[in-house]
Amino acid sequence: MEEIVFGIGITALAGALATVAGAAEDTESDIGSQGDPNSQVQLAPQMGYIHRIFNKAVAGEPPAYGLWVALGAGLAWAFMAMQINPILAIVLGSALAVFVQGVYATTAYLGRTASLAKFGQPVYIDILKSMTTVTMAHAFVAIFTTVAMCHLMISALGHPFPLPLLGLVWGIALGAAGSATGNPFYGKERQYQEQKFGAGVPISASGNIVRYAEAGQRNSLDNGFFSAKLGGPASGICFGLIVFFELWRTVVFEELNIWGPIIVGVVVILIFAIIDRYIEVWARKNFGPYTTPEEASS
Amino acid sequence: MSVKIEVGAGGIPHNQILIYGLVGSLVLIYLTYLNTYFQTEYFAFFGGLAAVVALLWGTDTIKHLCSYGLGTGVPSAGMIALGSGVVAALFGATTGPFAPIVTIIIAAIIGAVAGLMANAVVRMDIPVMVVSLIELAIVGAMTVLGLAAMACGTFEFLGMITGTVTFLGFTMLTYETSVIGGGIIAVIFMLGAIAIQHPFNACLGPGEQQDRTLMLAAECGFLSMIPVAIISFAFIGAYAALIALVISIIGWLYTYQQYIELSKRDAYAWLDAQPIMEPEEGGA
Repeated sequence: MEEIVFGIGITALAGALATVAGAAEDTESDIGSQGDPNSQVQLAPQMGYIHRIFNKAVAGEPPAYGLWVALGAGLAWAFMAMQINPILAIVLGSALAVFVQGVYATTAYLGRTASLAKFGQPVYIDILKSMTTVTMAHAFVAIFTTVAMCHLMISALGHPFPLPLLGLVWGIALGAAGSATGNPFYGKERQYQEQKFGAGVPISASGNIVRYAEAGQRNSLDNGFFSAKLGGPASGICFGLIVFFELWRTVVFEELNIWGPIIVGVVVILIFAIIDRYIEVWARKNFGPYTTPEEASS
Repeated sequence: MSVKIEVGAGGIPHNQILIYGLVGSLVLIYLTYLNTYFQTEYFAFFGGLAAVVALLWGTDTIKHLCSYGLGTGVPSAGMIALGSGVVAALFGATTGPFAPIVTIIIAAIIGAVAGLMANAVVRMDIPVMVVSLIELAIVGAMTVLGLAAMACGTFEFLGMITGTVTFLGFTMLTYETSVIGGGIIAVIFMLGAIAIQHPFNACLGPGEQQDRTLMLAAECGFLSMIPVAIISFAFIGAYAALIALVISIIGWLYTYQQYIELSKRDAYAWLDAQPIMEPEEGGA
């Protein structure tokens, strides 16, 4: 019994770390216009809309975060193998992984923007200087918390995988959670504030992203504020719940039966599918222009 | 999906890069065998250089493959390259001194099967698909083998699955502290997969230039070498790892600075804290 209580405590702590990781990850990727919003940021200059928004497409978020977290975990593992204290090892590993992330971010922005020279999109060096550091700071929080969570799973819950492999798996999961949950807030709505709410992105509006802010010109730090308010916390809850339920079902039900966690996993997925469907139908009824065809045209 | 778009015409022909990449990475990987020959660890960094050469070739291959309208497929191409490559490299590593050659053959077979599946089963019908996936699988395999050799000083399987752990003054051989047992191979896999797709993914667009893309490929290669050199402190002697680290940092600084220069050359304008320059005909 005590073992289960201890396991649930670790599960809650891992879930809390994952929530922070998800929030930081989504804010980081939105400041860099990675994932969902990227195609429109990339397209805008070609349609004549020159902008001052950071465009760092390293890859999709899942592979990119797979690398950052696996790298942080791998370096932390190597430092621990060199008899360095685990907390220091995780901090050092995450810091070095963030260095790699920052370099990738700068080369992505320079490359993409230089290749758009034909459309008159200049390289804004101040964007590179001010926004890369902000994404690096958020990436550090995301990588550190995820690697720390993986280390907890191994050292406290006895997970059999080595740290870098676990880092790869949870890094991909983290990127997927942020990409699926948080990015649409920015990519589908904030970039298209001028369109009707919930209208999606019609082809005629492609590339016509919001480029001017309340005062002056919008840059990606404004998107950071926005993401920290909505998309980030949503991604955090998403990733936190994933980690919490994943560990909780194993810790609590493995004792009863070896199939217990699997059955509970299926039940949890079904419950969430029902909740999601209910929320979607409710939102369609109450918001957005597409409840009925007549309202859509009004 | 089989309309070819010309991206960045001109530059070095692809076949020339292919030959330099294949021969260069093979020779450089074999230079790490000097470790076994002289019973030292100082030549481990040649593995990383082999990975850099392979990545240069792989970047040009991805550029050829993805000129068939595969915009979002660029990162996927990197994943399939390293996915095929890691299988081939681990199989090849079991064959002792012949490892790099066997790796290339196995990778070519895996790449051919993947290419035929993509064209015949998924029906992507891209003319260069089979050849490109063969090339990418070889590039992926050489990258994995090179970076793994850099981390543990040898491209032989036994070296990758045995590590040492010091406990109460005794040195023991264990599987848990090795490149494969510790999961470092997963880090190498991701380092390679992102490094191979990033140069073209970052530089794609109408203004893409081959020299800039390839310089970025070299930069990604050296950047991937830096963490592997730091990880190698856990496996090989401190001086050998330090040599690898210094070479990686020098190579990275040079290529990064060159890449920034090339970007400055190709950019429309290079502005610091300037407002949006609206185009004259009026976009908004």
